Amino acid sequence: MSTSSTSDLARAVKRGFRSVIGGRELTLLAACLGAAVIFTLLSRNFLTVANLTVVARNCVELLLVGLGMTLVITMGGIDISLGMTVGIAAIAIGNLLTAGFDPLLAAIAGPLVGGALGLVTASVIVLGRIPAIVGTLGLLGVYRAAIYLMLGGQWISGLSPELGQLLNGRIAWIFPVNFAVIAGAYAAAFLMLRRMPFGLHLLAIGAAEEKARLSGVKVRRTRFLAYVMSGFLAGLAASFYVGTYRNVEMTIGGTLVLDAVAASVLGGTSILGGRASLSGTILGVVLIRLLQNGFTLIGVPSLWQSVVTGILLILVLSLENVDLLRGSRTREIAV
Amino acid sequence: MSAIAFARRGGSKLALLAGLWLALVVGLVIAAPAILQPFMATTVLQFSTILALVSLGQTMVVLGGGAGIDLSLGGNVSLTSVLAMALVRAGGPAALLPLFCIGIGALLGGVNGFLVTRIRLLPLIATLATLFIYGGLAVALTGGLSISGVPPWLTPLGRGSVSGVPIHFLVIALPTFALGALILTQTAWGRWIYAMGHNERSARLVGVDVDGVRLTLYAVSGLLAGLAALVSLAWFGSARPNIGQNLELDSLAAILLGGVSISGGAGGVGGVLAAVLLIETLKTGLQFVNINSIWQVGIVGALLIVVLLADHLPNRRTS
Amino acid sequence: MLTLKRKTTIASIVAIIALSTVARAADKPRVAFVPEIIGIPYFNSMEAGGKKAAQAFGVDFIYTGPVDGNPVDQLQIVQNLVNQGVQAISVAVLDASALAPVIEQAKAKGLKMYTSDSDAPDSGRIVFVAQATDDGLASTLLDELVKRVGPDAKIGFVTGDATATNLNTWIKLIQQRAAEKYPKVALLAPQFAGSSSDRAAQLASDLMVANPDLKGLIAVASSTCPGVGQAIETAGKIGQVIGTGYCSPNTGKSYIKSGAFGFTVLWDPGALGYLDVWAGKQLIDGKPFAASNVVPGMDKPVAYDSAKKILLLGDPTVFTKENVDKFNF
Repeated sequence: MSTSSTSDLARAVKRGFRSVIGGRELTLLAACLGAAVIFTLLSRNFLTVANLTVVARNCVELLLVGLGMTLVITMGGIDISLGMTVGIAAIAIGNLLTAGFDPLLAAIAGPLVGGALGLVTASVIVLGRIPAIVGTLGLLGVYRAAIYLMLGGQWISGLSPELGQLLNGRIAWIFPVNFAVIAGAYAAAFLMLRRMPFGLHLLAIGAAEEKARLSGVKVRRTRFLAYVMSGFLAGLAASFYVGTYRNVEMTIGGTLVLDAVAASVLGGTSILGGRASLSGTILGVVLIRLLQNGFTLIGVPSLWQSVVTGILLILVLSLENVDLLRGSRTREIAV
Repeated sequence: MSAIAFARRGGSKLALLAGLWLALVVGLVIAAPAILQPFMATTVLQFSTILALVSLGQTMVVLGGGAGIDLSLGGNVSLTSVLAMALVRAGGPAALLPLFCIGIGALLGGVNGFLVTRIRLLPLIATLATLFIYGGLAVALTGGLSISGVPPWLTPLGRGSVSGVPIHFLVIALPTFALGALILTQTAWGRWIYAMGHNERSARLVGVDVDGVRLTLYAVSGLLAGLAALVSLAWFGSARPNIGQNLELDSLAAILLGGVSISGGAGGVGGVLAAVLLIETLKTGLQFVNINSIWQVGIVGALLIVVLLADHLPNRRTS
Repeated sequence: MLTLKRKTTIASIVAIIALSTVARAADKPRVAFVPEIIGIPYFNSMEAGGKKAAQAFGVDFIYTGPVDGNPVDQLQIVQNLVNQGVQAISVAVLDASALAPVIEQAKAKGLKMYTSDSDAPDSGRIVFVAQATDDGLASTLLDELVKRVGPDAKIGFVTGDATATNLNTWIKLIQQRAAEKYPKVALLAPQFAGSSSDRAAQLASDLMVANPDLKGLIAVASSTCPGVGQAIETAGKIGQVIGTGYCSPNTGKSYIKSGAFGFTVLWDPGALGYLDVWAGKQLIDGKPFAASNVVPGMDKPVAYDSAKKILLLGDPTVFTKENVDKFNF
């Protein structure tokens, strides 16, 4: 090949790549790779199939809840009760399994219950016209009490491994189910944000709600659906949680919410709304879980890991702000 | 928004809170007549101070607008108490313990202010990050163990009372709230804060140093957290690395119940104090009749939703 | 304003109705137990035992605790029990300093304050109702584990909250015993999982990957048991890594049977709860503890160490494949 066409090719690839992945995502990717390199050098057990499988497995619930959170934040809202939604869905799944229902049914029940709770959240916030952070703070308390009452203060323990085998198994012996489900969810979200009017409305509401309403966007319906969707995803995460850990306890989902917000924001989704980065969320989740795994491997005490997450958040966001202050960059969706 | 309209809104919220409190007390007395004893009031006040101080800080930050919020307050209280005690144990003069608390708290709050005003991070994210850092450091540095050795002259501050009113409530909580109310309603500072919260752009246009005020507000919030840390040290006699657990969400609930608008520019400290007292009375009362403490969590959550439904805040966050 | 008033009235009516359904008999003496946290099976068993004892000994039993491991919340509950004038108050303290603010007040009111399950030895509490000595618990666990993994094995810890005193005490004692008796055993630094299964599983998996020669994993907090067991199963390391912990037989059952756990160590929390209420009744009646006490309803006599003021339930029980089905808690 002549040099000119190679450079044309290179330029074309670069352009395509840039449209798929922007500055923030590149930073996160670099951070993930950098961390991976450091961990590989410091621990010979890091770069093994077994370990990377473990990390991937640990990402499942956060990827799903993170996606839901990203959608809600994009729309200009937030849902800090999402962890409790996971909890209530998990209780429903656990009860169904204990009663002897088919694991597939239990698995489907998760997202359905989650979606129903999303409906409740949506009603409180959209119909009740309460600011999202206030309404979901209130629901956090209500759901927490509900979880305790439903569990009767007990755990649901020793669930049969069938649900886990179903959800962590493979389709046609090759394709892992959990990977397929997550890829499907993100692909659907991507299509929705890029192609479908609903997705564009979501972004518009987050960017400038009044203008969106004046242009005829059905704001209330869109916001409603967004909360139902995130509830659905949280319920899906619950199905995987119960399948993997086979135990439903009162504290389920506790740390998921803050991690989901951190991952979304790390990924480039603006907390004010109007800007979404799905690939960013994925990278944010992977980075958080990767760091947690790597630190344990190299011997950093687990108590320090949340400190690192906080510092990471500040560093990454500060870097971009320093950048923004220097020059302007307009970017709507980067996926 | 005219001062009259604001006062009216603040006043009606206060009336609602007072009404709820009265209903609660009546219900409790009917359920358990033994509850009507002076030390019940003492207990309520005893447990109100820390939440009240932290809520005052949260109020300041939220009133100032700019999507202001401080999620790091709980972590601040924990870390400040740990660091202050560590300083004393490392040889620092024990007499300076109160100063250490205030100084460290203000410093940690100042970091938040710096992140928000200079680095231009959004408060939700900045204080979420510092929550991770402060709370994590408190536990990581101590390994979960508490640091004992609070000088005994502080104990009366934490456990003593004067005619049934706990000393720390009398000497720290009430004065700071009074000072806060004074500043907010009588000084130029107060006007600037409300102006910033109500319409930041206009405030800047008329020359309010929005960034400077906002930085100060975060530092003040941290200072109040430091005071809360001091009270906890005096009370428990040691620094507990998880003493601040849940304070950020609890304080948020308290100020929202108390009539502060989440987008800033509306609300007063009187309502916040009333809300804190309502929440603590609820907690104490339910525990007195031995109703499971999880109910209190649920009730406060439901109350938050109901009160705001009744209130239909016209301020909604626009970008 | 009308809407507000109406809402206030509705709220107050609801509140009054709700609260007046709470009945209180003020005749029988009352014994209370405040766990570290409500909503976990371990303390639920203690509650069940306490209720049984209350019926047997004619007292009213109050079980109330914090919903999370917040020391302020636990203190608030204890303070309220003191305010109510509950004659005997036992606490599973989250931290040794938890009782300090109220113990004087309790003594002044003539209320008996004591600890159970988790102690605060220097707080002035009257007695500690102990499940087993901390030494006994530590050594039984370590000895049984070393029996299975060998005296030169590498062993890891997954524990709960860093602020839980009893967990930290057991870890320290295990480390001490290993240094004395099994110098070739390598104990890794404990990992803190908080109270969630998934974090415990995550840390356990990471430990196994970081140390491929890991032979033993100890789940120190009962809340970490499912996570650790699950991690061993998922990693396919049944037989290579022996899991264990202070787990109730019901929680540990499936893992003991699958082989992920070689055994678990615990005591009967129901019996502990039972003993706890009996002790409270004894304190209220002013009856001192003898060196060996026969407790109606319990098969074995209970020892009392008057120097340390510890009432000892007995030796810890080791649950294995053979006996785990015989228990239901």
